[in-house]
Amino acid sequence: MSDYESKAHNVYITASYVPAADLRLSATVAYNKAEASLQEVAMPGVEDRLEGELEDQDFTFEQMPLYSDLDFELINFTLGFEYVLSPQVTWTADGTFGTLWDYAPYVYDDETGAVFVVRSGLRIQL
Amino acid sequence: MKTMKTLLCMSLALLLAAAPALAGEDEAAENLSVWLGSQYTDFQDSPKKIGEYDKSGDGWGPEVGLNYFSRSDNTTFRLDGHYFDEENIIGQARGTVGNTLRFNARYRSLTHQTAQDRLANLEAREYLASTGNPGGKMLTHEIVDPDADYNIHRREILTRFQALLSQKNNVRLSLNHRSIIEDGTEQAIASNHCFSCHVTSRTRTIDQAQHQFEAGLDAEFGRLDLGYRFQYRLFDSDAPDVSAYYDPAKNPVSGAAAGEFSSRLVYDDEELVFGRLPRTEKTSHRVRLKTDLGKGRMTGSLGYARAKNKKSGETTESLIGAANYAVRLNDKTRLVTKGTAARQIGGDPYIDLPTFRDGAADLNETDFDYTRISTLDRWDTRLSAQVISRLTNRLTLSVLAGYNRIDRDDYPLVNEGTSTEKLTGQARLRYRKGLRLSTAVKYRFEKVSNPFVSARGLFEAAGNDILEPLIPVSQWIFYFQREDLRYQDITSLPTDKHVVEWKLSDRPNDRFSFSLGAKFTYDKNGDLDSLDVKHHSLQPSVALNFIPNAKWTLAAGYTGTLDKSRLPVTVALFDG
Repeated sequence: MSDYESKAHNVYITASYVPAADLRLSATVAYNKAEASLQEVAMPGVEDRLEGELEDQDFTFEQMPLYSDLDFELINFTLGFEYVLSPQVTWTADGTFGTLWDYAPYVYDDETGAVFVVRSGLRIQL
Repeated sequence: MKTMKTLLCMSLALLLAAAPALAGEDEAAENLSVWLGSQYTDFQDSPKKIGEYDKSGDGWGPEVGLNYFSRSDNTTFRLDGHYFDEENIIGQARGTVGNTLRFNARYRSLTHQTAQDRLANLEAREYLASTGNPGGKMLTHEIVDPDADYNIHRREILTRFQALLSQKNNVRLSLNHRSIIEDGTEQAIASNHCFSCHVTSRTRTIDQAQHQFEAGLDAEFGRLDLGYRFQYRLFDSDAPDVSAYYDPAKNPVSGAAAGEFSSRLVYDDEELVFGRLPRTEKTSHRVRLKTDLGKGRMTGSLGYARAKNKKSGETTESLIGAANYAVRLNDKTRLVTKGTAARQIGGDPYIDLPTFRDGAADLNETDFDYTRISTLDRWDTRLSAQVISRLTNRLTLSVLAGYNRIDRDDYPLVNEGTSTEKLTGQARLRYRKGLRLSTAVKYRFEKVSNPFVSARGLFEAAGNDILEPLIPVSQWIFYFQREDLRYQDITSLPTDKHVVEWKLSDRPNDRFSFSLGAKFTYDKNGDLDSLDVKHHSLQPSVALNFIPNAKWTLAAGYTGTLDKSRLPVTVALFDG
């Protein structure tokens, strides 16, 4: 028997600010932390159920629980604004930066990575 | 791809045909805006998890968005869409004409990036201390294409159409459709037999679709409502089969005993297709009625479904009947009762296997052909009763009792199936003060007798003194005989489950609102002899909204999940 434990925490904060009638600003920060692990497995003794020597066998499995370790941290920042150029045209822009840390790479190798996306355009009222 | 284009054309044609009628001539309001822009994406290091559902590549690209809305006396029409790149598009069109016509079409396309399992844990070899050399028992892995980049492009088309055919009896026709079309690549893993324990990975092409069509007719005859639904569902794949070479059966170190090892296996030393996908068709019919009964209202339905794998010919059938009855016991109390009974039947295919030890040196052969009796065959019966009572103007109490029984025909043994019974109890108390404050607490328990367990057992006892050679077939003891040594019922299902849930939402003033919540679940199975299986789970949540003035809007929140499971861990010991 063994205990498998997993924890996940998600926190977010968003803010929207309208300093003037023709300008709107927004920002979001989101953070995620996820961990999972298996406690060391204590296998029952088997010597009394087997015949002969067991010098070649290792029943401690000290490393085995580590196979299941997961440890990720993810943070996302988003900034955006909208500026009214005229009653029909609004300029919008936003940028997102996200980064993920993989502290326990194993099954899929190291999944640490980052993404940066910037987007801008004009919204036209026809 | 041809099917995809056909469906898109059909949806577009239906939309264009309906749009002029929906827009109407006497438009009271109309609004059209477009968004024209571009975006730049840059990934650093691994994009597979951080960009799992983002676009799959770096660089610049154009983006276009469109929003249109019109409303007249009795019609509305809305069209929204956004093009991110050729594989990431969303669009939706909705419209109504009074209460005679409703239409909704949605298209959503996205890319799913998936990583490659490196199989790094599948690497071990026996060590013989007596000789100082590695032994023959080993586990190895091989990734044929380690640089493979897996992506799946998923498109979903959904259309809903409802028309009033006749004012008399309120006769309504509904036509619904949903398609999910996927293409791309994914990882496919094949395992060799235990003589080599060689696990191989390669790329599989994805080109598959599932389509679902539903047609229904509903009518009202006074206090009697009648309805009929027909549904057809299809899953098919046009992807080429993926195949793997299965190693020759022999001692992986010395190469000896090839004839003996090979004679025990269904296949070896050949290239074979694996993981072949089915072509599945499912049709279902359902009739329903709703009518007054005594002082209450009764709803009943009867359905039949049949699914068939067109490649193998395997079929499953199900028949389900359901009845609900709701009645007001007094001014403040209502009773809702529900009952369903379902019968499921699966096929019993004949499994034709090569003769065991055909070609072995001693020519002692055994035939393992058998008929695989379906373990699906069962009755599933559910009953429940719920009393909902308004104790005061602010306080509502509901109490639920439920019973579920599953009777299996042939599991774990033919004609000696087991039954699982589940009793459920639930109480929920809700307090509400105007539109600002509401809180509720709920407790639910489930008591399960004889939950589904593995028929064969999890562990294997030492067999030195138990197993006998198969005389006169052979003087040896074979691996398949070890099935007789297995013991220990095992299941992931609990016998006792408790759930406590609490929610609170409040708006103390017009500038501030918040909600709090927590859900705690505990379950265990105390019927597993030496095993002590249990799970704990806690899910807290907080959400805050604050508007300090007309210029600022702030929101924050937290959700968490804490899970702990106590479970058996087994280690496969391969030692002949």
